[in-house]
Amino acid sequence: MVRHAMFFRIVVSSLIRRRSRMLVALLAVVIGATVFLGMGAVYYDIPRQMGREFRSYGANLIFVSSGSNSILNLDDAKQAIEMLPADKLVGASPFRYETIYYNMQGLTVAGTDFSAVKKTSPYWQIQGEWPQKDDEILIGTDIAEHTRQYAGSFITVEILPTKGSKFAKELKISGVVRTGGAEDGFVFMSMAGLEALMGTSGTANVVEISIAAAGEEISRLAETIQAEVPGIIPRLVKRIADSETTVLSKLQVLVCLVTGVVLFLTMICVGTTMMTVVMERSREIGLKKAIGAGNRAIIAEFMGEGITLALGGWLLGTGSGYFFAQVVSMSVFSRGVALPFFLVLLTLGASLAVTVSASLIPVAMATDVEPAAVLRGE
Amino acid sequence: MNILELNGVSMTYGSVKALQHISLTVRPGEWVSIMGASGSGKTTMMNIVGCMNKATHGSVILDGENISRLNARDLTTIRRDKIGLIFQQFHLISYLTAVENVMIAQYYHSMVDEKEATQALERVGLTSRAKHLPCQLSGGEQQRLCIARALINYPKLILADEPTGNLDETNQNTVMDIFHQLHKEGSTIIVVTHSPEVAAHGQRVVSLEFGRLVGDASTQQIRA
Amino acid sequence: MFLRMILGAVTRQKKKLMTMACAMALGISLATAMLNVMLDVGDKINQELKTYGANIMVTSRGASFLTDLYGVEEGAGVSDKYLLEDELSKMKTIFWAFNIVDFTPYLDAVVRVNDSGANVPLLGTWFRKHLDIPTGESVDTGIINLRSWWDVRGAWLRDEDQSGVMVGEAFAAKHGITQGDNLTISAKDASGSWRTVTVVVRSIFHSGDKEDDGLLTSLATVQYLTGLEGKVRRVEVSALTTPENDLARRAAQNPHSLSRQDWEVWYCTAYVSAIAFQIEEVLTDARAKPVLQVAESEGAILQKTRFLMLMLTLLSLACSAFAISNLVTANVMERSTEIGLLKALGATDGQISFLILTEMLIATIIGGSFGYAAGLGLASVIGHSVFGSAVTAKGLVIPIAALLVLLVTIGGSLPAIRMLLRLRPADVLHGR
Repeated sequence: MVRHAMFFRIVVSSLIRRRSRMLVALLAVVIGATVFLGMGAVYYDIPRQMGREFRSYGANLIFVSSGSNSILNLDDAKQAIEMLPADKLVGASPFRYETIYYNMQGLTVAGTDFSAVKKTSPYWQIQGEWPQKDDEILIGTDIAEHTRQYAGSFITVEILPTKGSKFAKELKISGVVRTGGAEDGFVFMSMAGLEALMGTSGTANVVEISIAAAGEEISRLAETIQAEVPGIIPRLVKRIADSETTVLSKLQVLVCLVTGVVLFLTMICVGTTMMTVVMERSREIGLKKAIGAGNRAIIAEFMGEGITLALGGWLLGTGSGYFFAQVVSMSVFSRGVALPFFLVLLTLGASLAVTVSASLIPVAMATDVEPAAVLRGE
Repeated sequence: MNILELNGVSMTYGSVKALQHISLTVRPGEWVSIMGASGSGKTTMMNIVGCMNKATHGSVILDGENISRLNARDLTTIRRDKIGLIFQQFHLISYLTAVENVMIAQYYHSMVDEKEATQALERVGLTSRAKHLPCQLSGGEQQRLCIARALINYPKLILADEPTGNLDETNQNTVMDIFHQLHKEGSTIIVVTHSPEVAAHGQRVVSLEFGRLVGDASTQQIRA
Repeated sequence: MFLRMILGAVTRQKKKLMTMACAMALGISLATAMLNVMLDVGDKINQELKTYGANIMVTSRGASFLTDLYGVEEGAGVSDKYLLEDELSKMKTIFWAFNIVDFTPYLDAVVRVNDSGANVPLLGTWFRKHLDIPTGESVDTGIINLRSWWDVRGAWLRDEDQSGVMVGEAFAAKHGITQGDNLTISAKDASGSWRTVTVVVRSIFHSGDKEDDGLLTSLATVQYLTGLEGKVRRVEVSALTTPENDLARRAAQNPHSLSRQDWEVWYCTAYVSAIAFQIEEVLTDARAKPVLQVAESEGAILQKTRFLMLMLTLLSLACSAFAISNLVTANVMERSTEIGLLKALGATDGQISFLILTEMLIATIIGGSFGYAAGLGLASVIGHSVFGSAVTAKGLVIPIAALLVLLVTIGGSLPAIRMLLRLRPADVLHGR
């Protein structure tokens, strides 16, 4: 039989026949790998996930017209939106502002895309229903209070179209919107409905964009669009974009520190467990030396065991670490977690480093001991 | 030429003098019993001869080589090549089977040969036990396994420390029979023991008392 | 005798028990730090989210939306309702006064600059006003805290500076105004006569919003120009709030529809609607509206963050508990010979288990106490490096930590002890 076959035989026997000890050591490695991979994946994914959550604050980028008449072409806007990364775009809602008259008083009416508004401004509170048809409208809560008209009632308004003369039209109030902001004083209807009333189409005053990007990234996007689409000036909503960068970076530092602390402590724990398990075998090391083993042979055996444990622990730990991250991500954000491959490799490296060094330190200590001292039988 | 020569060997642990000025020679093929009560220094002497400890003073020449000046690494090599150790506590590796426990000595020495290891087991009567773990063997079987392991690399010197200390009479006789067989085949054997009965199996008895050599006589002389 | 054995073990097996104590200290410091950070992270993130600005807008009832809504200008008879500047400090006397982080009043006017015909919006506000509250405390509050995202070239104005003005970036660029220029500002007061002041441009600001097209100055200056001394049009309030739930939403529609019990729960919880309601109670004719864009989102982010930290804490605690109890197991296993000997000497299984458990507990409790202290330090390091303020130590953490020590030690020791007790003493002693 060749020598390395015997080497494997020693290592495998040691792992299999000292089952309970090795299980303890394996469990330690598994826990370490789980925490490493799980926390790593959470840390890696937090900005992405949290960035999505921050989109509940509404638009962080708006498109306005570059011309003097403050009217932008929707085709330009479409072109600009296509330049944004689709996986990060949460929503884009156009707003066209016109004036209509109710009881001789002017009201600002905004034509928009309600399905997009639900995404860009998730904080709108609607009493009643979102408009389904083109002749249904939402009114702001201030208007509702002032006019004492609520969801379900019909109002007749007068419209002055772009070309032609004033005419009256009956619209159904499908709901009352409350935001605590300027929207409380506006009337909202679908873009198609407003275009039909006004007789012109394809324009908007502003397009609100909600995109899951912060800091540098969103500024870069804005610059690209400014350069590429002449009809549009993208403007950062400074309040939203800046605050998001600030808060998000703090959160990231927090998770980073927590990850660091957890990792450090777990690794120490894992190392200590491994060391305890190996330390117990000083007698065995003494015996092997007595029957003629050189230090290198002994170190090679323990390395072999350590590497096997590390590989096993890594395999199991990758599975449970992914589960760990998935549980956190699913329960907090209701979204799956992305597991980058380099993290899996990094986990392997960490398991190997901790396991091998934790088993070699006590072995190195034991190989310094004279075999006689160990064998004397304490 | 002598296989072993001790010249003025002393060993001190701190202030405790375990061995004082021991001089002794062993010729090839001799069976020497080192006898003494507990604490007489016999285990210390065995450790020095077995290359597991270095003497504080004096020189030890083993098979023509002065081992008292060697470093730990060279000592390991000498031990591996020239000495077969047999312990009172057997000291078997718990997670290896009987045959593997023999093979591990081959492994550290040079080549691994399972057939040869099985033959070594056959010689000590353990063929049927080859696949058993040490915890499944009786004390006598464990000691015989230990002997098989010690013999596998054809050592120049077999060193046994109280080989029968943990054994009943039947097993003691079995082990002693094996030693007689080895002696007949020409092996050099040193047995460390406190028992005059075991010591009497040898050709020569060296007595130790409080770290000093107090007697060196052939068994015939003692009997006479 | 039992005591002597314990004492012997503790003093003579120092090294092994030290390992245990150290591991437990590490684990408990982790638990303490994580739990404290977790329990405090809500408050901390809430503070951070204040950078989004006000979450409550206070206006005078009746004047609340007309200017916004109809674009009606001054003097049309609808916007002459104001809040009183004197009353504002009362906001710090409401039930949730402590949760009101910042607030600032605004008074706007349309003015002429350097006698040009164009109407320029001018906004007057507090910058960092020192207020003495009726309760005897004092606060510094104003726009500086509420507009943290503004870029200001030069310094913010000071409230007592009646001859200074800040200019919006867009306006400054359009008219070539630079820092240090003198501007003459004139406005019509309520009686229709012109009032004029000359001010120095102290700084240029960029807000990314419509203020960039106008001027910003102290409240007193605008009050003088418009003749509206002691009056403000609206007040922005930034308050720490509890995320909204069903009760809060029902109350927001109409607080009076709640049952008496619900009402009390609602009133005594820091819902944004409850705080708004309490502000309405102390200010004459005021109407306080939650700004849902900020208030709702804040709630969402807060809940997510808290939950995230909770999950991370639970899972990492579970992992470290496993890791440590595993270490306890390894430690107990190492003592097989000792257990064999004790059995050989005639000790019962119960006695042995009790002996080992007591030893382990002594080590881990000592370690745990050190760990608790270290954990507090760790938590404050995290607090300081992330949020710039200490994390408050919560008493709740102590019993949790104590429970963890017990569970982990016992949970780790018992399986190993049971396993070792199954071994026959002779086998163990002979090292088989």
